[in-house]
Amino acid sequence: MTIACRAFFFLAVLTLPMARAQEWRPPTTLSRLPNGLTVVISEDHSAPTFGMCISYGIGSRLEPEGRSGFAHLFEHMMFEGTPVSPKGVFDRVVESGGGVNNAQTDSDFTQYYESAPVSALDAMLWLEADRMKTLDFSTKNLDNQRSVVEEEVRVSVLNQPYGLFYFVDLPHKAFDRFPNTHDGFGNFKDLDAATIDDVHHFYDKYYAPNNAVLAIVGDFHSEEVLNKIGQYFSSLSSKKTPTRPDVSEGSQTSERYLAQTDKLAKVPALAIGYRMPPRASHDAVVGAVVGELLHNGQASRFYQKLVKDAQVALSVDGGLNFTGSSPFEYNGPVLLTSFIVYPGAKTLEQVLAAYDAAIAELAKSGPSAAELDRIRTKMRSDWYSQLEIPISRAQVLSHATLFDGTFERAYTIPEEVAKITSDDVRHFVSIYLVKINRTVINRVPNTSQKSAAGGSR
Amino acid sequence: MKLFALALSLFVASSAAAQKELPLPAELPPYGPETAVQAPTVQERKLDNGLTVWMVPRSGFPKVSLILAAVGGTAADPKERPGLAQLLAVTLSQGTNHRGAREIAEEMQGAGGDIAAAGFRDVIRVSASVLSARAPKGLAVLADIVQNAAFPDNEVALAKRKLAGQLEQQEADPSFLASRAMAKTLFGDTPYAFVTPTKQSIEAATASELRSAFASRFRPDQALLVIVGDFQAGEMFAQVRDQFGGWRNPSLPPVPPATAPTTLPSHAIFLVPRPESVQTTLLFGAFGPLRGDTDYEAAEVANAIYGGSFGSRLTLNIREDKGYTYAPFSFLQIYRAAGVLQTRADVRNAVTGATFNEVSYEMNRMATTAVTDRELQQAKRFLVGLDAIKLQSQDAVAAELADLWNKGLSPAEIGLHGHKIGATTAANIESVSRKYFPASKMSIVAVGEEKVIRDALSQFGLPIQPAP
Repeated sequence: MTIACRAFFFLAVLTLPMARAQEWRPPTTLSRLPNGLTVVISEDHSAPTFGMCISYGIGSRLEPEGRSGFAHLFEHMMFEGTPVSPKGVFDRVVESGGGVNNAQTDSDFTQYYESAPVSALDAMLWLEADRMKTLDFSTKNLDNQRSVVEEEVRVSVLNQPYGLFYFVDLPHKAFDRFPNTHDGFGNFKDLDAATIDDVHHFYDKYYAPNNAVLAIVGDFHSEEVLNKIGQYFSSLSSKKTPTRPDVSEGSQTSERYLAQTDKLAKVPALAIGYRMPPRASHDAVVGAVVGELLHNGQASRFYQKLVKDAQVALSVDGGLNFTGSSPFEYNGPVLLTSFIVYPGAKTLEQVLAAYDAAIAELAKSGPSAAELDRIRTKMRSDWYSQLEIPISRAQVLSHATLFDGTFERAYTIPEEVAKITSDDVRHFVSIYLVKINRTVINRVPNTSQKSAAGGSR
Repeated sequence: MKLFALALSLFVASSAAAQKELPLPAELPPYGPETAVQAPTVQERKLDNGLTVWMVPRSGFPKVSLILAAVGGTAADPKERPGLAQLLAVTLSQGTNHRGAREIAEEMQGAGGDIAAAGFRDVIRVSASVLSARAPKGLAVLADIVQNAAFPDNEVALAKRKLAGQLEQQEADPSFLASRAMAKTLFGDTPYAFVTPTKQSIEAATASELRSAFASRFRPDQALLVIVGDFQAGEMFAQVRDQFGGWRNPSLPPVPPATAPTTLPSHAIFLVPRPESVQTTLLFGAFGPLRGDTDYEAAEVANAIYGGSFGSRLTLNIREDKGYTYAPFSFLQIYRAAGVLQTRADVRNAVTGATFNEVSYEMNRMATTAVTDRELQQAKRFLVGLDAIKLQSQDAVAAELADLWNKGLSPAEIGLHGHKIGATTAANIESVSRKYFPASKMSIVAVGEEKVIRDALSQFGLPIQPAP
């Protein structure tokens, strides 16, 4: 395990769920402390360990205009100490307890998670409660983490071929309103402008027990761990519930297109995004299935059509909420995204022609019964994998509860997926996967920058 | 003289990094009593044809992880075909005598999995993680691939084009450039020098070469099947016998094991120019212990203290104190016949020299001064805990077992590891640190803007030469 860090958007493609087999459903309970902290507990005695995740109801989508990247910068500040637990103590206590920890800023939540042998349970609950109470608010540490975050942006975006353009640039072109257009890394101007007062205000507004879900999974008795959580967290005061602004988008009326050049890449790439229906809708589940039918593995439609048959692509990745945690975990406008790397010898038109033909075929005939069964099975299997180990089950439980007030969906996704029919897919594709609903970015190597050192052609 | 002056300047530059110990908060609850980690019980079997089968039946989570590992990775590739093992790995699942590429992908998807195949240095691994209820299907497809891969001409031609395109794509990736250069720097012209095919080797490879490489490398007496997850051992083994019992060994001699290089790499800076880079990717590497060496666990503990965790000296210094980088880290990379200790940091161009200085300082601090008792206990607990956390995942258990087998170790090692970590003493740390950590042992690869790197690193008095 590397120390991949207070990392950010894990861009791994988490895919999802199928079939008629009986549901796997680990025992799980939900409670709420008087101060509003929601607690989800799942016992798992398969190892003498536990995993926990606290998700706060704030992500990069709701960070203030002029402060892009702030939710993520703030996430880093959560590790920079409190009045009683100075900078450095957190990692030391976690590691001395045999544990690991990390955090991640998503569009719609910020999550902090740990896993360790159960002997460290009390210490870790205490650490999380301590930083839910107050922080050190040190300007020196803010400056330090600003530097660290800017290096994170360099290593993840600015020094990378493609610069995560399907994450940074595609929503920018596809949407119209700040919450949805900007990416959570933010720009350096905004990061540089952030002050310690911003840290204070953000903390006061969003970091409170009543805006958080603590999910914990592991080798303990539920009542006992609930008592401990009460012991460490119930003295924290709730705060005024943050009001949620309207983040909805108007409708898209024509195809959007952007041409980009890339100073680092040597092979062209293409990103395509379709606007999706709201999460809490039947269509959104269909969209998730369509995303997987098109992108999930070598059996997927795009792999077979673009990579194998037409041979116009080197790789195809994507899905609904592709750059988020999963096709089911988001809370605002999202895209169904394709990220295609294609050989320099092929043209954009050739790639798009094969791409559009694959979509037209799905709209016309829908998936066969066998294909539908396969993708449901695969999505079930993938979803289960997210629930396997305590630290990752805790994450899924906390997101579901944050969005819905109940963890139910963490376990019902496979069944929801199993109900989707071939007609649902056809209908969905013909409504949503249409040109006027999409944005295309073509990104090609900046050939004038190519030097003798790495020239490829 | 140069070395002495360097060491002195390092020390002055970095004295602030030697942090005072913080007291822990008074209210922090103590750790509870430790529960021993139950290592997975591995059932070891062997088929008559020599196939080694390691099974770990567990209940609860309704999936099964499968790995088939065959001896003969990139280290076994012919000199004129570097990286052939990777082409072999990606074409294995593209058709057998019974199934086409598409059928293989679809059947595996219908079992809830994906075929993943990769050519490592010593082995090729084919793996899949499937739903328990559909494990027989997953096992059957896996068995078909590793016994009957056919390497159809059209699929090989396509795979070659794809791999060539991906290689071109990777030429832009600083991680790839750094790792490739480091492998060549450390291993010269010995078998571990190649991590990837070359444009030429991909172009020249043929389907018939792949077929003969497959025939010599995929043989039951040189292979391991690992199965971890929700199944009954008896039933599963009967299926394994059905599916793999007819697998024959060829009359060819087995792939010879890779040997370690006999010459030491040079203490120099190897430059990989990458125009338009906004960071320098620094990679320091030197030989470390083998997995079975008596000082392996001590080296792991030393690594955790030095740069292998959030709480490590390296992270505290160049991230938490100086803000030079986002995720500096060090790691031990162990092959069957060689071990490597590496340190990686991606830093903005302006602090390339300062980072080089600090990394060298932290290495020398490890090599020349004692670790504190607190550091030692923290690192040991961290590594033992990491084992417990890792063993929760059945994919991770399967991968760890496949790795032990590759290194010629028994599956029991998975349970002994924590005890060995626990038994590590300060004296052990001192001795491995002196042996592996001195900055003077390091070969350094620097990927980025050539002028930035030359300007920043020439002051250190090391030769700066083009990466091999």
